[in-house]
Amino acid sequence: MGKLYDQLMEDVRFVEGLNACMNCGMCTGVCPAAEFYDYDPRRIVDEVQKKDEAVIETLLKSETIWYCGQCMSCKTRCPRGNTPGFVIQALRKLSVKLGYFTCSEKGRQQFAIKRTVGHSILERGYCVYPDIVTPWMHPEQGPNWESIYNNTEEFMAKLDIPYKKEGAGPLRKIDQKNLDELKRIFDVTGGTEMYDCIEKYSAEKAKEMGVDIENGDYLNMVFKTNSDYDE
Amino acid sequence: MSEQCVAKQNLWAKYQKDIADDHYYYCRSCIRQTFFPASERAYLNIMRDKLGKDLFDDPNHTTCTGIAYHSDLVPMQTTETVIARHFALMTEAGYENMAISCVTSFGLYTELLHTWEEFPEEEARVRQYLWDATRREFKKPKNIAHTSDTIYKFRNEIAAQMVRPLVNVKTGEPLKVVDHIGCHYAKMFPTKGVGGAEFPRVLTGMVDAWGGTPIDYPERRHCCGFGFRNYLVMANRGYSVANSKKKFESMAPYKPDFIVTNCPGCAMFLDRWQYTIQQMEGTTYGPDGQGIPSLTYEEMAGLVLGYDPWELGLQMHQVDVEPLLDKMGIQYTPRDKWTGKKH
Amino acid sequence: MIMQQKNIAIIGGGPAGIEAAASLAGLGHHVWLIEKESELGGHLRQMYNLFPDKRPANEVLQEMLSHVKNANIDILTETQVTDCKQIDNRFTLKTDKGQTLEADAVLMATGYRLFDAARKEEYGYGIYQGVINSFELEAMLKNNALKNVKGEVPKRVILLHCIGSRDEKVGNNYCSKVCCVTAVKQAIEIKRRHPETEVFCFYMDIRMFGPFYEELYREAQEKWKVTFVRGKISEAAANLDGEIQIKAEDTLIGKPLHMRTDLLVLMCGMEADTDEPVAKQLGIERGANRFFRSADNYTRYNNTNVAGVFTAGACTAPMNIIDTIANARAAAISIHEYLGGRN
Repeated sequence: MGKLYDQLMEDVRFVEGLNACMNCGMCTGVCPAAEFYDYDPRRIVDEVQKKDEAVIETLLKSETIWYCGQCMSCKTRCPRGNTPGFVIQALRKLSVKLGYFTCSEKGRQQFAIKRTVGHSILERGYCVYPDIVTPWMHPEQGPNWESIYNNTEEFMAKLDIPYKKEGAGPLRKIDQKNLDELKRIFDVTGGTEMYDCIEKYSAEKAKEMGVDIENGDYLNMVFKTNSDYDE
Repeated sequence: MSEQCVAKQNLWAKYQKDIADDHYYYCRSCIRQTFFPASERAYLNIMRDKLGKDLFDDPNHTTCTGIAYHSDLVPMQTTETVIARHFALMTEAGYENMAISCVTSFGLYTELLHTWEEFPEEEARVRQYLWDATRREFKKPKNIAHTSDTIYKFRNEIAAQMVRPLVNVKTGEPLKVVDHIGCHYAKMFPTKGVGGAEFPRVLTGMVDAWGGTPIDYPERRHCCGFGFRNYLVMANRGYSVANSKKKFESMAPYKPDFIVTNCPGCAMFLDRWQYTIQQMEGTTYGPDGQGIPSLTYEEMAGLVLGYDPWELGLQMHQVDVEPLLDKMGIQYTPRDKWTGKKH
Repeated sequence: MIMQQKNIAIIGGGPAGIEAAASLAGLGHHVWLIEKESELGGHLRQMYNLFPDKRPANEVLQEMLSHVKNANIDILTETQVTDCKQIDNRFTLKTDKGQTLEADAVLMATGYRLFDAARKEEYGYGIYQGVINSFELEAMLKNNALKNVKGEVPKRVILLHCIGSRDEKVGNNYCSKVCCVTAVKQAIEIKRRHPETEVFCFYMDIRMFGPFYEELYREAQEKWKVTFVRGKISEAAANLDGEIQIKAEDTLIGKPLHMRTDLLVLMCGMEADTDEPVAKQLGIERGANRFFRSADNYTRYNNTNVAGVFTAGACTAPMNIIDTIANARAAAISIHEYLGGRN
């Protein structure tokens, strides 16, 4: 296993993302997450560069590393050529690998993303597809989307979009041969392993919390719980 | 020319990326095809029928996994190998240039090629993964463009075929347009975007060429707020709407006629969050309780070229586009909005 | 022993060239002081007053100029060296005025180029009127014309340190050294004239390297109530009123900070003039920072890799006026020794 810092160094994004930080704050100044959450990418980078194992472990189990929106605005600005957004990716990956992600409310949400976007990739060939943007999970989509959602085939037919049809074009059906290739890529590159990891640790956490994962309660909980708001 | 314009032109001159002029392998976008499928169709149509270009729309194309990647669901090697598979499909089809419909994909493809330059062992590893999983091999693309880059490149050819310029037919004034570029277009690799990261030219160049006036506003560069996991998970959506709201409040005093977006996600969020804010607190950002229409650049190009608004899929927006169509003097049949032209 | 009079060509008539000329003439040598502008003085001519004691810049310049009114000094203004060849120990210089100068030694006193603030694109220098550089502020102070874009005395001024310094993105990893104390000096001058104007300095580290600089910093805080914020501004944009909106982090409390200001002053650093033709022709080596490389940082600071070619002042590294004067005198002694002055 090795030290946490050494494991981070195995990720090229970490090597690429962190040279040396002088704490100027340009990343935090432009960070959309820092405006919304109690979040400071500069501080995370500074904590990581100190190589304190206990501090890194705390980070891996924290809410903090899950706040970043991956806009990469930090990459443009850093005068030292660092990318805090890459450092975050490496931290999150390690947090999932070690199962630490279930220690935080935001980290536990990985389960919901895996069950929606994650499944859509392997089942539909795309991360997003009209039938997963359900109005009850996406009330912000509004009434126009709701009516499209409820009559997708009819609507797309009127728009001449080959929805779920064979051949080329937007929203076409991806055939099994291509889906099988995607799945094999996932198997070979560690994608499947990461999915399984999210499932395994989430099941353990659900059991620990006494929430049913089979009937969808755990998914519903991680998808909707926002303690910051509920307080 | 004003000093300001000279300074911008100097800046744009620094960021003139090389954009292939024909024969593109087309990469679809998960979000664009879901929420703006007619924009993707319009793009192919404009490129082929109006500009005489050759594009290959491959049934074997899939997601690049970008949304999952930036949501930390999949390791980097998975995403790299899926993208490498697209390179292989492109190579097999006999193409060398890519036109990518998604800003997140465009950013990832660019990042991947950059990473392979810095870490050649990573490229070797991915080639092996792809071989093991699919028995495919690939050549790296010679040229990578976002689809908007190609429209930008041919903006004057489009202007020559223009039916409806970006002009208010009642006042004769140019329409005021705010552009939203999408973070991953040039913030990661400024030299890979037309005009760079700070004053991108890809959309304002189209607006200028087609008779409108681009409007700068203080939060122009701010993220739309997608934030991947910050939107995908319901509990986090406060982040997403708050960041869009910041932009609306900043642009509203300039009274823009519409927003034009580079990135499919941004186009959708800047539309839907206006609806959400209106529902939550009754605030609207356009005149008379209206929103500010948020268009994709394909929709903007389509309107300029005289395409029917409902064939362009403008009925999929939540913010009504009719006030904009009226300003542009575009005839439309209200009934067709939901029943379709064919019926 | 009476030395035969030797000829020295000094390229650059700023503070370093002026002081070295005076010293060399005092040591009995003949000097050509070659300046491309119409007057001697270099950047010093543009300054209002000097740190740390606020002495008027012109007073210092005039005193220095009085030392070069010397029969041994030929001042060649509006003159550029177009060609320079070395044969054995002799240098033949040709000027754009048609002169041919035979010199025994050459002193490079070519100074620095002010960093072009437009290269830090995120601040919109040249695009947003309310964003100016530190020399433009100095000119406002010199002309007693501190104004915002509306022509009024600004209610707030923000001075942003480290523009073009300590910044990998523009290829300058070094500290320009004088900008911190210049900002402090300018902040005090603004407050002295307009006590009602709020003045902020945004810095990464306050580097008060010279005698009485730290005291000046303290005076700015204690007496003049200048506010110092530790954080480099991330971006700037103009709003409808022409005010500049900035985004930064106050790193000492770890929170994002947004402010509006009438003027944002970019404290531009120094860059080496890499286009200088004489150095190219003579093959004078430059360091990683592109300034002239010393033969030895400790014992042969003013010597270059070419025997007979010396350097003085800010062409060797970012340097303040006080150190430049001392450095020019040191260069004069080094040249004197080289020419056989010390047996």
